[in-house]
Amino acid sequence: MKSLAKRIREDWVLYLMLLPGLTFFIVFHLVPILGMKLAFEDYRIIGDNLWVGMKHFNTLFSSPAFKDVLLNTVTISTMKLLFIFPVPIILSLLISEVRSNHFRKYVQSVSYLPHFLSWVVIAGIWINLLNPSSGGVNFIRNFFQLPSLDFMTSKDHIRWVLVFSEMWRSAGWDSILYIAAIMKISPSLYEAAQLDGASPFQQMRYITLPSLIPTVITVFILNLGFFMNAGFDQVFNLMNDSVISQIDILDTYVYRIGLINGQYAYATAASLFKGVIGIVLILGSHFASKKITGKGVW
Amino acid sequence: MFGKGGITLKIKSVSRSVIHLILFFITLAVLIPVLNIVALSLSDPGRVGELSGLGIFPKGFSLRNYEIILSNPMILRSLGNSVFITIVGTVVNIFLTAITAYVLARTNFVGKRLVLLFIIAIMVFEPSMITEYLLLRDLSLLNTYTSLILYKAINVYYLFILMRFFQEIPESMIEAARIDGAGHFRIFWSIVLPLSKPALATLTLYYGVYHWNEYFRATIYISDPNKWPLQVVLRQFVVTQDNTTMLQGMDLTAAELAALNMNSLQASTIVIAVIPLLLLYPLILKYFTKGTMEGGDKD
Repeated sequence: MKSLAKRIREDWVLYLMLLPGLTFFIVFHLVPILGMKLAFEDYRIIGDNLWVGMKHFNTLFSSPAFKDVLLNTVTISTMKLLFIFPVPIILSLLISEVRSNHFRKYVQSVSYLPHFLSWVVIAGIWINLLNPSSGGVNFIRNFFQLPSLDFMTSKDHIRWVLVFSEMWRSAGWDSILYIAAIMKISPSLYEAAQLDGASPFQQMRYITLPSLIPTVITVFILNLGFFMNAGFDQVFNLMNDSVISQIDILDTYVYRIGLINGQYAYATAASLFKGVIGIVLILGSHFASKKITGKGVW
Repeated sequence: MFGKGGITLKIKSVSRSVIHLILFFITLAVLIPVLNIVALSLSDPGRVGELSGLGIFPKGFSLRNYEIILSNPMILRSLGNSVFITIVGTVVNIFLTAITAYVLARTNFVGKRLVLLFIIAIMVFEPSMITEYLLLRDLSLLNTYTSLILYKAINVYYLFILMRFFQEIPESMIEAARIDGAGHFRIFWSIVLPLSKPALATLTLYYGVYHWNEYFRATIYISDPNKWPLQVVLRQFVVTQDNTTMLQGMDLTAAELAALNMNSLQASTIVIAVIPLLLLYPLILKYFTKGTMEGGDKD
């Protein structure tokens, strides 16, 4: 048995190789996390910050603006979970019914594409699609004798713009895990069902859908872990002054009061609040997932 | 007997046709908004008003929009910046991820469990964008490409993908080198890396797409417009609708300006930002699909 010191000395190359990665994690991840103690301080340009305890949190929780932002975050996340979550599952069921390899490849290649576009590009595409005078959606509305709408500045519609543009971007790509799960179902199950005279619908109902449930639960729980995010990049690029009251979420709020208005400490308090809820949700989902499906999130 | 089978067959083929039809409409819903942008960018500026919102073929044909966009010094510079950040960023990311993955996946050393635990623990908690900004400011990294190259330089999820791949390399292939006296760095560089080409290709695309599409960190870290990547300029143009900045520094007469259509110019900028992704799309599809499906296997 070699002594500890000797083992460490012999492995110096390993520590050297680990150094860049470890330095990265410490400097760019751990330091800004520890830096969030700023939430309990007053920020000073010169000299040390002043410890103020819960001051910023008290201001935060008594601020009507923060309440609105919190409500928007929860509303938008709930709408997305409700209306977007089932779509990739349905899509995977439909795609798995396609027998022609060419057509299946075509559907997959096309529906995956938006996942690889940045939200800046998608915002550009959607602003054009929803253009009140020349956009495709209003073209269809006019065809059905409906008046044109300016969706991007409409308080009543902007949250639905978030739901549908997110669906457009992610539903295709998110079906991939379900397709993988369907591909793993043994063909003999279907053959046996066909011999028993099960219709395609019955096969889907009694074989495919039950086999998908573990994946559905895992993905649902994972989504729950990101509930407080509500899609920052999307909101950031689709936001404008007319609809800010409807779609200002926690992260855009932090961005605005922190990086635009320079209230660093106050914004960090809002970040920390969001982070703590996030960690509770992620750990909660992890243990819930372990309990239900036997597998954790990581 | 015969008749019944025929009917089931018929129901089957009808429901299959309905499914094909639904899927075809879904692909149209994805494609038309994108193709409409392409048609908008290629239409004759004088006839662009004729293009319907669902049109996928340009009205007339003109490269005038691209001519304007690609002679704009700001867009050209940002294109160069994006290419630079993407290439250097991806290389740095891959190297850092790979060398860390090697040490964590293939070796045993005092403190390894502690390091792994540390990485998993910090993965759960995202730092605030405020403290990240203040950190980069304190490190004097604002307005540098380094800030964008080092941000998320090691993605923990990709690190774990690579670790799993490295672990599957048979020990026998490495043992021979060790007997020949090769050290860890040598084994990493001349044996493990060459054996991991498919995994490295996957990660190259992951990091490459990430860097090409990144705009937010660049928005907050880079205030000098000369250093902006293309996505930030595009955002300025398309989301903020800042047309004056876009046409600055260009010698256009009033008549030339009047003949331009801002929507078409925006459309052509979008197309330019998407072209590299489209060129690599077959590769992206292959490697991302594989990576995600294998990632899914672990669950």
